[in-house]
Amino acid sequence: MRTTPVLTVARYLLLDRVTYLVLPWAWSAFAFGLDVAIIELTPHGDGGDHWTGGLTAAFVVVFVLGVQAVARALPFGLALGVSRRTYFLGAAALAAALAICFGAVVAAGQAIERATGGWGIRMAYFRVTDVLDGAWWQSWLTASTAFLALFAYGMWYGLVHRRNGLPGTAVFAAAQGAVLALLAAIVTWAHDWSRIGHFLAADATDAIPAVLAGLAVLLLAGGLAAVRRLAV
Amino acid sequence: MTAAISLTGVGRRYGSRGAHHALAGVTVEIHSPSIVGLLGRNGAGKTTLLRVLAGQDFATSGRVSIFGAAPAENDAVLRRMVLIREDQTYPDLKVRHALAAASMFYPSWDAELAATLLDAYELPAGRAIKKLSRGMRTAMGIVIGLAARAEMTLFDEPVAGLDAVVRDMFYEHLLADYTAHPRCILLSTHLIDEVADLLERILILDRGRLVLDALADDLRGNAATVTGPTGSVERFIADRTTLSCRTLGSRTTAVMAGRLDDRDHELAELLHLDIGHLTLQQLAMRAADSDARTALTSVGAA
Repeated sequence: MRTTPVLTVARYLLLDRVTYLVLPWAWSAFAFGLDVAIIELTPHGDGGDHWTGGLTAAFVVVFVLGVQAVARALPFGLALGVSRRTYFLGAAALAAALAICFGAVVAAGQAIERATGGWGIRMAYFRVTDVLDGAWWQSWLTASTAFLALFAYGMWYGLVHRRNGLPGTAVFAAAQGAVLALLAAIVTWAHDWSRIGHFLAADATDAIPAVLAGLAVLLLAGGLAAVRRLAV
Repeated sequence: MTAAISLTGVGRRYGSRGAHHALAGVTVEIHSPSIVGLLGRNGAGKTTLLRVLAGQDFATSGRVSIFGAAPAENDAVLRRMVLIREDQTYPDLKVRHALAAASMFYPSWDAELAATLLDAYELPAGRAIKKLSRGMRTAMGIVIGLAARAEMTLFDEPVAGLDAVVRDMFYEHLLADYTAHPRCILLSTHLIDEVADLLERILILDRGRLVLDALADDLRGNAATVTGPTGSVERFIADRTTLSCRTLGSRTTAVMAGRLDDRDHELAELLHLDIGHLTLQQLAMRAADSDARTALTSVGAA
């Protein structure tokens, strides 16, 4: 069966099913086990939920998938007669599909977590306070857009690495670190941390999916423009 | 008829100020079907040229046309091409996955040929590409390049890292497949004499410039060496185009452009001279020299 070139690229990337489908959740399961062990081994507190942050593992792996989709899989795709544009759109389509499915996994995990009283040990593994703690559809939207934005962000690292190698990647990361530090300094100078805290507590659940979706679109649009001048 | 490849004044410069000319003013037309050898020393620009043809790199000057259109970001053109590179970066896939990927992109993919070649080169389909030896990776590239049956097949150093037996197998497979399915095949290599019998046309690059473009048949026997007593050699080469001359003691070896006829051979025998023909490798080495190039091409054209 012949598919459109964009879908063929997605199928090409999915040849490595273990990496794209299993690895994020294998790491997540490992983090889950680790969190359970830590909660069981540490003294029980005041009866509140144990916020773990172990779910970050899945997001980190998705970021790495984005890196390798450009840094390693793109050159072979081009060798097989695919244009950069088609390749990038195919990778982005796969990222969107994965993000929707992975977001559903997070929403389902959250539902189970709530129904079981945090897996019987009051563990908040699939929930992140004020960010990933709303209705199922809000969690699904937030997680999906976060997965997509991280994949796109990873593709940017892959692009920079292919174009400028390790030194360029280091400068790229350092520049973002510098910008973040500058922003933190400005917020501190303006005494705005409390406003950010209020925003996260009051509006974040509604606003974050829109912010992440906008970020993902920006990253993908910029990436598409950048990849078209990439020599491999 | 539209040329399969048409390059007009193609240049590619690198460096912050474009100081390094990887390609400079390359102009050539190649029609399909044909097997063309792209020869030259390390750094001559062979890989850059193949990358520009496959749209993987961009010319900084000139015009590149493949099947009548610019290849860069042109899916309609690119899907008719395959480029097998010696330095190809592969994702973390197994050999069978790489072949499956190629089969998705090429409508003319020949799965039977791929299986036959996989067996012939003893490639383990279930092994991760990153665990293959250099020779095995090269062989995998050959399998993909041939089984893809792309209308334009570009091989960059396709036999690098292969032993002599496997190289011979590749040449046999290439010729057999080309005979059965004629197409445009452009291959770059250092092992010029090994592929000499396969090639219909030869392009030689030197420092980014196309210094020789000739039919292989025209070049073969188009230069000869004559060795013997210095006086006899000097008499023999008088009034002929001489590419080089080296004297060691009382004996001299001269390289001459042009074909020798029966009378030349009779004269050489009379003067007790040894006549030998230059191989394509030797011709390629001399082609970088402008005087020799002029002599070789002008005699070849005549």
